[in-house]
Amino acid sequence: MMQEKLKRLGLKLPILPTTTVGSFPKPPHLIEARRKFDAKQIRAGELRLIEEQTTREWVSVQEEIGLDVLVDGEMYRGDMATHFANNLDGFKISGLVRSYGNRYYRKPIIAGEVRWRGPITVDWWRFTQGLTKKPVKGMITGPYTMMDWSFNEHYPSRRDACLALAEALHEEVKVLAKAGAKIIQVDEPAISARPEELPEFAVEAMEIITKGVDAYFICHICYGAFEFIYPGMLKLPIDNFDLETSNSELDLVELLRRHPFTKDFSFGVVDVHSHITEDITTVEQRIQRALEVLKPEQLWIDPDCGLKTRTRGETMEKLRVMVDAAKKVRKSLFGNSP
Amino acid sequence: MEILTASAGSYPRIGGRPEQQRHRQAHAKLEQGEISKEEFERVQDEVTREGVEEQVKAGLDVVTDGQVRWHDPISHFARRLEGCEINGLLRFFDTNFYFRQPVIKGKLVRREPILKQEFIFAEEVSSKPVKPVVTGPYTLAKLSINRLGGRFQSLVGEFVKIISQEVSDLVSAGAELIQIDEPAILKNSGDFQIFKEAIEKLAAEKGSARLALYTYFGDATSLCKRLLKLPVDVIGLDFTYSPKLANVIANSKCDKELGLGLIDGRNTRLEREQEVLEVLKLVLPNIGSERVYLNPSCGLGDYLPREIAFKKLQNMVAISEKARELI
Repeated sequence: MMQEKLKRLGLKLPILPTTTVGSFPKPPHLIEARRKFDAKQIRAGELRLIEEQTTREWVSVQEEIGLDVLVDGEMYRGDMATHFANNLDGFKISGLVRSYGNRYYRKPIIAGEVRWRGPITVDWWRFTQGLTKKPVKGMITGPYTMMDWSFNEHYPSRRDACLALAEALHEEVKVLAKAGAKIIQVDEPAISARPEELPEFAVEAMEIITKGVDAYFICHICYGAFEFIYPGMLKLPIDNFDLETSNSELDLVELLRRHPFTKDFSFGVVDVHSHITEDITTVEQRIQRALEVLKPEQLWIDPDCGLKTRTRGETMEKLRVMVDAAKKVRKSLFGNSP
Repeated sequence: MEILTASAGSYPRIGGRPEQQRHRQAHAKLEQGEISKEEFERVQDEVTREGVEEQVKAGLDVVTDGQVRWHDPISHFARRLEGCEINGLLRFFDTNFYFRQPVIKGKLVRREPILKQEFIFAEEVSSKPVKPVVTGPYTLAKLSINRLGGRFQSLVGEFVKIISQEVSDLVSAGAELIQIDEPAILKNSGDFQIFKEAIEKLAAEKGSARLALYTYFGDATSLCKRLLKLPVDVIGLDFTYSPKLANVIANSKCDKELGLGLIDGRNTRLEREQEVLEVLKLVLPNIGSERVYLNPSCGLGDYLPREIAFKKLQNMVAISEKARELI
């Protein structure tokens, strides 16, 4: 569907392109270095060297496994909302808030006017793209999720906060595209939190983000209550939805049967919350189920979500199975080419 | 008319200071097998006592035990029931908090009273009346996976059985005001008849105690009139979802006591006195009962840092004093 756009952007991808959602596990020595940096025992430069080395390793893993669209692996990020909050004007970080069980986190607080003060992700994108000929995705956390995952002490409503964030993040998207990123992913895991807000302002926020930027946009949603936002979510002005599917027993396929999907679709075929690696037949079957409701040229293949909670070994196994399954399905569709 | 300040549920169990990490550290040690269940219980007792003391210090008229021992409002009940297994994490309504989802596989049987001892302990350590908080049968059923095979209504019936026993145990333990939390009804008004029957059955168990039915995490404007007709003594409403709710109450005859959730329990911004007083000026003249409660829109424990939770309560108490001058 969006193949025209990819071609125009100069991206040559096979049918059923394979990619990942964003994060990879951090090795123990990086976790230790981050802890030391927080405790002011090592300097930023020292941490940076380790992050760069780890990023290099993940890029070669992705190339070796044969993924088509790469990511930087987010070695430099802690929480996906806090990373952006720390780098935008207007934010403070709260005290400890409970997330579940015995888990606590510090939540961003919108304490003043949100403003973009300079590139947040360009540096790492450029570094990573410099390591490979394969396209590397630019990645930002979306305005709706930033709003929903932050306290708001400044704006009179959720809508105002979300649209202000969209304006700020639009600047980030512009500089990413200018630096050369042709595929930009906007992570919006929270977008189904209040389904009524999708037509009220979430679509408008995405219009602000993408306006006038010539790139192929992917929107990643996980843990979503899709039944409440589909087909309304097709109004989001993006090219590709990246949805968690294997973890929800492929309920989505049934939804898509009722209302055809009008964009490209990155279909999650391996469960990132399970230690067990799916066997190749299971993954192939998931791809075949997706093809019941999507045309091959609409379909991208990836895991459900970021892989940062898996081990390095599990991550590599899952990606291998995924790439092998995609290759087999490609073959069954088109013989030996392309 | 009397204006009382109340807690609406949970209170943060850890804070920012090193000595306020006790619960978190003990919990981790329990999971590692480094301390016994009894030792962990002692920490939970201490933290409960601290939370109660902070609520009293903030100036509240009615406090809770802070729900320090709860994993979440759903599995705290479900994990003590036969006929039920606990599944993975799921987002709790539209919040940033997650609960464990129950899977109901058979008739539900309570192994032992769930809240009774928690209530008795909090009563002992509190200088103010303690209000036990019970998750309601409708919300418990709505957030569970039904593998019973029957209709949703019979699943609600299973939970009515359990929660009725809880209410009656709490009454016999001396609770005078019992809060039933039913956030799920706000977004599922089509189920109101099932919900109504469930609440009626609970109300039959209340004996000499008074029941407060609290709704939150949604816009109550369309359900408000029907909620006010239910056979309970207090209706709790969340005012953070729709600015219209105050007008709806101002325009309807209301003889029930209300729990006015005018303090946003999920945002760190402290309410300005004027914005709360304006709503009170609008709604209080139309309330025919002798008492209202001013409270946060929901429990604070899973949504705010402890320092902010305390300030929110203090601020609420200060506003209530101004409000008393109004009437």
